[in-house]
Amino acid sequence: MNLELRKIEIKDVVFGEETGVKDGVLTVCKQDIIDGLKEDVNVKSIKVDIAKPGEKTRIIPVKDVIQPRIKVEGKGNGFPGVTSEMVQLGSGKVNVLDGVAVVTIGDIVGFQEGVIDMWGEGAKWTPFSKTLNIVVDIEPVEGLDPHTHEATVRVAGLRAAELIGKAGKDAQASAVEKYEMGDIFTEASKYPDLPKVAYVEMLISQGLLHDGYIYGVNSGKILPTLIHPNEELDGAVISGNCVAACDKITTYQHQNNSAILDLYNRHGKDINFVGVILTPELTTLEGKFRTCDYTAKLCQTLGVDGVIVSEEGYGNPDSDLLMICKRLEDSGIKTVLITDECSGWDGMSQPLADTTPEAVAVVSTGNVSHVVELEPADRVIGSAEAIATLAGGWEGCLQEDGSMVCELNAVIGATSEIGYHNLTVELY
Amino acid sequence: MGQDFVVVTNNPMVGESQGEVMVVDGGFEDVLLKVRDLVYEGHQLISHPIGASMRMLFSPYRSVLVGSKGSETMEVYALTIEGSIDTFRRSTANRDVDHVNADDYARIDLELLKGAINEHRVIQREKIQEVQ
Repeated sequence: MNLELRKIEIKDVVFGEETGVKDGVLTVCKQDIIDGLKEDVNVKSIKVDIAKPGEKTRIIPVKDVIQPRIKVEGKGNGFPGVTSEMVQLGSGKVNVLDGVAVVTIGDIVGFQEGVIDMWGEGAKWTPFSKTLNIVVDIEPVEGLDPHTHEATVRVAGLRAAELIGKAGKDAQASAVEKYEMGDIFTEASKYPDLPKVAYVEMLISQGLLHDGYIYGVNSGKILPTLIHPNEELDGAVISGNCVAACDKITTYQHQNNSAILDLYNRHGKDINFVGVILTPELTTLEGKFRTCDYTAKLCQTLGVDGVIVSEEGYGNPDSDLLMICKRLEDSGIKTVLITDECSGWDGMSQPLADTTPEAVAVVSTGNVSHVVELEPADRVIGSAEAIATLAGGWEGCLQEDGSMVCELNAVIGATSEIGYHNLTVELY
Repeated sequence: MGQDFVVVTNNPMVGESQGEVMVVDGGFEDVLLKVRDLVYEGHQLISHPIGASMRMLFSPYRSVLVGSKGSETMEVYALTIEGSIDTFRRSTANRDVDHVNADDYARIDLELLKGAINEHRVIQREKIQEVQ
């Protein structure tokens, strides 16, 4: 497969009469977005707002973040299997509105968190404080069951990204990134002496507000599956996860999966990157045993020497992560895990909900329990009630001056387990 | 096929339509302790006792699927429930239970329970087909 991501550098976003890009400025016609999204009979009202880096603006509760794009050569506009007809993704030329993100908000349940602060202490912790955010607030019609409510908000966000992405159709790219990889045998013959490495990406697959989708298929319904890395970079994987703010993988992060990009960067140099295995994190123990066995078998069948495994979420998925590790290491495949930690306010507690002696190479992406203080915002986009939920965790978390103390687990992308975030690892 | 599981729960929204229910009078941790007792009596642990995100650990409600009773305690189930209790206690040491959103937690716990029951039924059906 051969994919070109053509980056159109966007320096500013403004509202205007017509959606388009000129001289690095993205103009968005608010009414076009509203009209487009209200074609869905389940959408009652839409509000569109802009939040820029440095503004004293807070966005809450964030559901998903999506990068607006348009395919200018080849098939597969929108999100095939979800917002457009099914085609094979992974090839062609895509114009990317670089520096822009569509951020969807809208509470499905009262306890949703997920905050993006565009300034100050909060901005340090989320990668989406640096993007020009087009915030789409989606209110569905009354009486929807929770599953339809979630699907309405999820799909509306994807459609918004699709509509805004069209602005980049004729714009000039300032940089072009090329991703090309042939079949496993071709790549192995090109790099016979390099170790073969696969990437296992785990996806929360546990039911309402806890789902991931591949070409529109709920990942809870599949056995682990092999996917070309270009397919994910081209929009095949979508987030339906609304609860684990700090470590849920947003659609934007799937489109720009750091683990895939890093592995690609080293492909043909010191490793032979053979592909991505998407693995569901199920709820039943037998389901977990099955997917972990199957994941290890796929890796063995590919004949890989090493595997990188990234987790999504915290809690019961820790068991899957370590079972996969044990199975791979037992079969002689060197395994590196990427996960975040829940190691208490002081960072001293046991970091994961499970453990195994085979986990000898683990990369931490941060402590979800780390406490941060957020000052009051001048402007809140979204729900003030959600802020109360965010801060209501313990006595003394709301200060007299209106600032509040919260754990990192409330901040979108703060401890991304695929490494798309602001933290780094220091070796001692 | 007959029912082969019991729902151990303190969630008032879980009813008989989900199958046989063992109601726990208490909080999230009490549900985990009841599950632990059943596991040591030899019951199979079907669904993982804790959720997939920090937020669901602050829920006032939890439902766990427990299976039929065997002749001895399975080590994997004992390790899983003990680890879950330990994780729950560590993760909630500084946090209050989120009672404000109790109704929403009850609703989501019920939806996740339905998902677990469906996942379990698929696995059981596959086993039956294997026998045939």
